[in-house]
Amino acid sequence: MLTGVDIGGTNTDFATVGDEITAYKVPNAEGFAGAFSRGKLEGRLAVSTSQPLNRILTGDPISVHILTVPGPGLCCHDGMNGAVSHRGDIVEQIDPEEIADCISRNRQDALAIICKFSIRNSSIEEEIAKIAGPWYPEERIALSHFLGRMNFPARIITTELNARLKNTVSTQAEIIRRTQGDFLFFKGDGGLASPKETIQCPSLLYNSSAAAVALGAHYLTGENDCLIVDIGGTTTDLVPIKEGNPVMEIIFIDKKRTMIESVRTHSLPYGGDSVIRETLKPGRIGNALAFGGPAPTLTDALNCTGEEIGTHGLSKLPSRAMAETIVDKYVAIVVEAVKVKNPPKLIGAGFLSPYLIPRIGKEAGVPYTVPYHAECANAIGVAVSRVSLTLYARFDTGRNMVAYNGQREFFEHTDDDEELIKICIDEVRRRALESGAYADDVRDIRLQYFNAYDVIRGGYRAERITDIIVQIPPGITAETR
Amino acid sequence: MTTGIVFDPRYLDHEQSPAHPERRERLSYTMDQLQEEGLWDLECIRLLRPFPSSIDQVMKVHDIEYLTFLRESSRTGGFIDFDTNIPVNLFESALLAAGGAIRAADAVMSGEVKNAFAMVRPPGHHAHRTTGAGFCYLNNMAIMVRHLQEMGMKRVLVLDLDAHHGDGTQEIFYDDPDVLFISIHQSPFYPGSGSIEETGFGKGQGFTVNMPVPGGTSDMSYLYLLEHLIRPLAEEFGPSFIAISAGQDIHFTDPLTGLALTASGYAEMMNRMVDLSEILCGGRLVAVLEGGYSVEGGLPYTNLGIIAALAGLDISCIREPDLYHDWLIRAVDPGAHSEVLENFSALKSLLSRQWKCFAKKLS
Repeated sequence: MLTGVDIGGTNTDFATVGDEITAYKVPNAEGFAGAFSRGKLEGRLAVSTSQPLNRILTGDPISVHILTVPGPGLCCHDGMNGAVSHRGDIVEQIDPEEIADCISRNRQDALAIICKFSIRNSSIEEEIAKIAGPWYPEERIALSHFLGRMNFPARIITTELNARLKNTVSTQAEIIRRTQGDFLFFKGDGGLASPKETIQCPSLLYNSSAAAVALGAHYLTGENDCLIVDIGGTTTDLVPIKEGNPVMEIIFIDKKRTMIESVRTHSLPYGGDSVIRETLKPGRIGNALAFGGPAPTLTDALNCTGEEIGTHGLSKLPSRAMAETIVDKYVAIVVEAVKVKNPPKLIGAGFLSPYLIPRIGKEAGVPYTVPYHAECANAIGVAVSRVSLTLYARFDTGRNMVAYNGQREFFEHTDDDEELIKICIDEVRRRALESGAYADDVRDIRLQYFNAYDVIRGGYRAERITDIIVQIPPGITAETR
Repeated sequence: MTTGIVFDPRYLDHEQSPAHPERRERLSYTMDQLQEEGLWDLECIRLLRPFPSSIDQVMKVHDIEYLTFLRESSRTGGFIDFDTNIPVNLFESALLAAGGAIRAADAVMSGEVKNAFAMVRPPGHHAHRTTGAGFCYLNNMAIMVRHLQEMGMKRVLVLDLDAHHGDGTQEIFYDDPDVLFISIHQSPFYPGSGSIEETGFGKGQGFTVNMPVPGGTSDMSYLYLLEHLIRPLAEEFGPSFIAISAGQDIHFTDPLTGLALTASGYAEMMNRMVDLSEILCGGRLVAVLEGGYSVEGGLPYTNLGIIAALAGLDISCIREPDLYHDWLIRAVDPGAHSEVLENFSALKSLLSRQWKCFAKKLS
């Protein structure tokens, strides 16, 4: 049995997938803890919490002290002393007094620590975190080396986000763990990760709802190339699927690159709860009248054209003609966006999809499907997902070291390429199983990158450096077969 | 301002032998540095993918007999001199390097970028018309300059900053009055040429300028020469385009040479050359990578310094880690500057016959 939970802006969706699928919604009025307090959920639990996190990213004023150790290179003002080299050697020492003084004079809600080349040696970041202990608890300090990849400016932006999110995600993880025991978080790339990994790097959760819908719709329909139209309360999200997988893209925030990769989504600012003020307006002020809300919405307009959604008798608009104009406007907006993407097929998802997708599909001239349980495709996607993991490894025989996602370990000397690849595959498999992956889900391990070169000193081949990236890709768990 | 960087992973493929100084490892740490700096995400940086140069373009510089030899030898492997083997597939690598320089020039000429750095391998400035030498096979710089001349650039200033004299480039343009070739290089040193008396031939007389400097020469002397030798010559010559053979074996950690430039000094020189190009030729400038063998201690920082200066980025933090400080102290010869001034005085005297900028100063 697999259970998926997607905490959205309006409702929390639950789905269990076993011999059959069951799905239901709980209004968010009960709060985050309330959603998990109705007793122990069955089977393996996976949770998507991107909506509350997205709200923090876009508005909540959590202040972050960004502390950098830039070393030599492009200018980074206000950086601390200290430097890590390309090889992961400490080539300039930090000054603990300088750091303590800087931290104590710049108290904020959270602390982000980023050292250039920390992905080759994380010790400077870890040492600074220890120095920061008297001022910041662990759940309010984010370190950049967990991101695993080179790009100091992008790590700065992403680690700042992680610092803003870390306390919330830690708290949420604790609430879920207390009532539900072991569970997994659903990430923006469509895979699952352990709470420990997610707390180290909470931006993994960014935009996970779109990934959940993509995976769920793919699972329910088996369509490999299509456009998912997910009609939610506040937005309508268009999510393309190519060759059975959502299209991934790098996330930019304020035009600045982050280290976050997430499912490509085109979000239109209209959904079932979009308010009607003379015409349809972006934004939500509450539920539709048909669900006890304060003002008429798109859902009410549908009821006024003859549909029977919720307590449809409560839906009121000045005239049926106005209701039809409102629905026409919404359909035209979505059709225009769909036509630009020119998909081979549309898949409807979300509560209103049975009422709107047939018309959108016809007017766009695109075949369509609205699967059974379309209203909970997101939670179903979360339920059927599997643990995904990317491992960035650098082997340096001169240092007898391997750095896995920035964390150095002793490594017994070998420079045989095939053996090193096997070591990485075994390591990523071990880590995935430790995170809670099913054994059948860790067979498909992909070598994404390999590069090796000799280090020549004094005219002789003295050492060898090898970079390897292996991945257990996101996808649907073998448990569903 | 947008700066183009010509690079292709295939530039890491060329290797004469695994332990050769001009080997794959040369640019590995540089690429790490650029990636870690997030350089490829900057709006002022554009990655330019190279294409192989055509045989016609290469034949504007090299003899057909040499090219035939190079192509044939690179099928099975071959030999030019003690420093310069021909590994299998060399010809394709060399064409891609020359094509990279042309790609940089084309991008500047079309306005795609303001200036550019061709981070190409193998290097080229020791390659003569009829033979390769000193790790070089095709003269990337000369092939690019001939291409620029065909595109209508009347006068091209070539500044060769490599620690070794750019003998191949000098030979190719020795009688060409439309190319002012200036080389600052360590002397005495490989390849042995580059004395101040070598000033050109025929119509090219006076358009070759060699400034040999002793081992231990540091930032101070190079910046002095930039202001007192290169700037006045450039202003009088009035180039349509500035091309720099950006050898980085003048860095104090270089294992093959004995000069003492820092990454900061190199960046400052490039900064001033960018200024000069803006004053004299609308900013049209291309730097082409030549030598440089301090793969860990020098190249990541000097290459970054070149790019930062070209792109107008802040160069105030371009430096080596403190770890290398004592090495720098040992590398700098406090007496080198007076020898540089002495050589420079003799050079000015020679040049004063042809260059007004030095004639005036003598009077």
